[in-house]
Amino acid sequence: MCEGNYMYGNASLSYYDPDEKQVQNEIFARSNAFPIGDVVQSMVMHDGLGWVVVNNSGVIFAIDPATFREVRRITGFTSPRYIHFLGERKAYVTQIWDPRIYVVDSQTCTITDYIDTGMDFETGSTEMMVQIGKYVYVNCWSYQNRILMIDTETDTITKELVVGIQPSSLVKDCNDKLWTITDGGYEGSPYGHERATLSRLDADDFVIEQTFLFEAGDTPRALATNGDGTVIYWINGGIYAMKASDEALPVQPLISAKNELFYSLTVDPVNGDIYASDAIDYTQNGIVKRYSPEGIMLDTFSVGINPGNFCWRESM
Amino acid sequence: MSATLLGFSAGVLAQNEWWNNDPSYVTPIEESAVVAERPLGEIGQQKTSLDSAALCLTVSQSMADVLTYNSSIFVKQYGRGSLATVSFRGTAASHTQVTWNGMKINSPMLGMTDFSLIPSYFTDRATLLHGSSSLAVTGGGLGGAIMLETAPSQKPGWDIDAVIGAGSYSTWDGFLRVNYGGHKLKSSTRVAATISKNDFTYRNYKKKEYTYDKAGIPNGSYYPIDTNRCGSIRDLHLMQDFYYTADGGNKLSLNVWLMSSLRGVPLLSVDYRSGVGYINQQNENTLRAVTGWEKSGNDYIVSAKAGWLHTRQGYDFARDKGNGEMATMIASRSIINTFHAFTQGKWFAAERLMLTAQVAAYQHFVKSTDRNALSMVSSTAITPEKIAIGYDEARFESSAYLSVKWNATKNLGFSAALREELYGDKLSPIIPVINADYLINKYLTAKISASRNYRYPTLNDLYFLPGGNPDLLPESGYSYDAGIAFSRSKEGRWKFNASATWFDSYIDNWIVWIPTFKGYWTPRNVKKVHAYGVETRADGKLNLGSDWQVSGSGCFAWTPSINHGDPADWADEAIGKQLVYIPQFSASSVIALAYRNWRLSYKWCWYSERYTTSDNDITTRIGRVLPYIMNDIVLERRFAVKWSSISLKLAVNNLFDEEYESVLNHPMPGRNFEFFIEVTPSFK
Repeated sequence: MCEGNYMYGNASLSYYDPDEKQVQNEIFARSNAFPIGDVVQSMVMHDGLGWVVVNNSGVIFAIDPATFREVRRITGFTSPRYIHFLGERKAYVTQIWDPRIYVVDSQTCTITDYIDTGMDFETGSTEMMVQIGKYVYVNCWSYQNRILMIDTETDTITKELVVGIQPSSLVKDCNDKLWTITDGGYEGSPYGHERATLSRLDADDFVIEQTFLFEAGDTPRALATNGDGTVIYWINGGIYAMKASDEALPVQPLISAKNELFYSLTVDPVNGDIYASDAIDYTQNGIVKRYSPEGIMLDTFSVGINPGNFCWRESM
Repeated sequence: MSATLLGFSAGVLAQNEWWNNDPSYVTPIEESAVVAERPLGEIGQQKTSLDSAALCLTVSQSMADVLTYNSSIFVKQYGRGSLATVSFRGTAASHTQVTWNGMKINSPMLGMTDFSLIPSYFTDRATLLHGSSSLAVTGGGLGGAIMLETAPSQKPGWDIDAVIGAGSYSTWDGFLRVNYGGHKLKSSTRVAATISKNDFTYRNYKKKEYTYDKAGIPNGSYYPIDTNRCGSIRDLHLMQDFYYTADGGNKLSLNVWLMSSLRGVPLLSVDYRSGVGYINQQNENTLRAVTGWEKSGNDYIVSAKAGWLHTRQGYDFARDKGNGEMATMIASRSIINTFHAFTQGKWFAAERLMLTAQVAAYQHFVKSTDRNALSMVSSTAITPEKIAIGYDEARFESSAYLSVKWNATKNLGFSAALREELYGDKLSPIIPVINADYLINKYLTAKISASRNYRYPTLNDLYFLPGGNPDLLPESGYSYDAGIAFSRSKEGRWKFNASATWFDSYIDNWIVWIPTFKGYWTPRNVKKVHAYGVETRADGKLNLGSDWQVSGSGCFAWTPSINHGDPADWADEAIGKQLVYIPQFSASSVIALAYRNWRLSYKWCWYSERYTTSDNDITTRIGRVLPYIMNDIVLERRFAVKWSSISLKLAVNNLFDEEYESVLNHPMPGRNFEFFIEVTPSFK
């Protein structure tokens, strides 16, 4: 997913086939004869379709992953960020500038309900979602400091956990533990500023099991896992990796940033290859570099502007 | 550009009352007197003066519209009635300094000026100073400067001018000017108001709708007709000018301009939100006031000015929660107070020698809050405290200028100047300027100039939360230009002026806002830019007998603006490429044909493609904004009745209904109409 530039409406989708080593850019616009919109935030596969959340267009497109053609469209959002499917039809949609988590029906393409997070519109927002059992966990990033725990049977928030300033990403590992990175805010923020952290949470008890503190000035982000969730990856200048069972942060990056600016990250769920994007100057087409699980660079391909997220077609 | 005036303009003539007897648009043509009247103060200056015919064509036009059709500078419009910025010679909007009656009106927060908020009827004189020539007025104009001025009426007694207009998209315009010209006291009162739903429709090629058969299977698609959403306009301007001529060569002036604007922020054409149930608007209330004193002696002119600029700006983004209650999502607020002082002395030390000293000072106070957040300390409280994210800063700026202008011979003039600028506690290096011109013959003048220049960071650049960067360096540059100007006329028959200028500029430490890894943006001194090219302009007027007259002007500019900075990383493809949103070519023209009391004006402009990515990639559909040509016409008819002059005007904008964008995905209107009635009572 290539975000494009905010208010430019120049987001795009690029498709890469690791077997053929071929990339196709701007696939949505080429297939549908109209652009995808302003800031593509995220995409998930569900029910044989790719669900693409276009943040500042206020829309979610469902596309056929074979033809990239639009087959469904959900509108009515304020500023959608992520979609998470709970079953065949039901999904949650998180938003920024709107603290309500929207409940949507993916068949009728309608918003059926809202989950009240207790936050107000001006200061509340919700981000990524991870499901363990009947609970969905949501990190609240922008000027927030907590993870929400939602009971999907009642669509209500059952608990909140304060983890640190601005938890920016959330994943789960092979042991059904949650991992979150807090970016610590920024210097001079009236909300507060602290060192960034990586925390492991026990999902059942909903407590912080362990917090790893980064160095002052570090900017960790973009958490990812390998296919079986045994290794946790993130970007902090270079690309770092640690086993889910490790008790300390790695000292050296798996992949050092030499003359590149890593922007986003994903790991092939099948073979463990690492894909990292480089947004270059943020106003030109970016590139994606593919590395082996050991961190050896394999190849590079060009994509659209600000490649900010990835989605694996085989995960459908 | 050479100073060019199309003889007497309609506006000036209106003040001279000649047309109350004969309401013809055919105006006298004066003979050019370039050689004899070449002013010392303008040696080597590259300057374009816009005449009042351009400024007063229709009451609904903003200065952005005037500059689009009457100059070679690039006007970037974010929609009808939306933000419009201008840039000279391949530079950025913040590289254009703008003064109103001598006081800089660039936003100290953003550095730029919104020309859509300046009605052309509120400007009596507009002068463009290209490149180095801007340093005679102010520093920081890496591209140039635009001087907007009001002037006392030359018509004695009372003079009233009232205009009402109605146009497409539920647009209503009103304008009233009451002038009084006494022996010593002159006054001008102006009011202008515009209301528009601005809900134009357009074929939206950025979206598709589908048709379905009875079984609900898609069987076709089409590009929908969309409506410009959240684009309403409500502007009110009030201006009062007083001019008093006292004994002993003293002149006093007071200019006050009040503006209240409430405008929607139109949604992008790729936005699927309906616009209904949303508030998405910005408001601005601004007071600008300048008072001045000037004394002229036999060999000197001294003047002083004091000014105050007060602005309250806000942006509101709210949506209906579904129960009729509007929930505020963003409520950003800014308050700007700027106090200004200026003094200048000109001494004509000899017949061909003039010395100028000038000091200007600005004290800015800015309080800006971008959004509110919860206090983390109280975030778990039942009623958590909110905190404003913003800054509250003040900055003192001053600029001193010394110049010597010398006509070494009748044909050869030199000018040398030094400018020194202070911002906060930082002092710029000395900024030298050198100009020269040479009269090749009585029709032809050659001009050259060279200068350094600096533009210091804006308050947002330094202090915006999050992202403000207090370590930014000023942008710095060198600029050179050389040009030739031609002027020839035959009194009463024809007049022709033309000029061509080559320019070459190097700008270091160009400030660019780029994203950080924490999700916000921050400004950095990133680019090194080489902007060069050619500007040309021609204008003229021809009388075809006593009843017919044709006049016109045309501009063409070639403005490569190339990024020569260091690569961001090894994959950077932007080096050696044209900057984003700067056209390499632009052209404009206005041609007017007058027959007695009829006049038809044809306005035309063209911009070449503008890249939207720094690597200038045009293999995708989103890498550029396509070139466009815009055509407008205005047909006017004047009537003279015993008690008044009446003028009827019909304007057709976007005559050929071109589908175009000035900025990617910002919709623009198709063909639209405006009709105006202007009444000017006679007080004989």
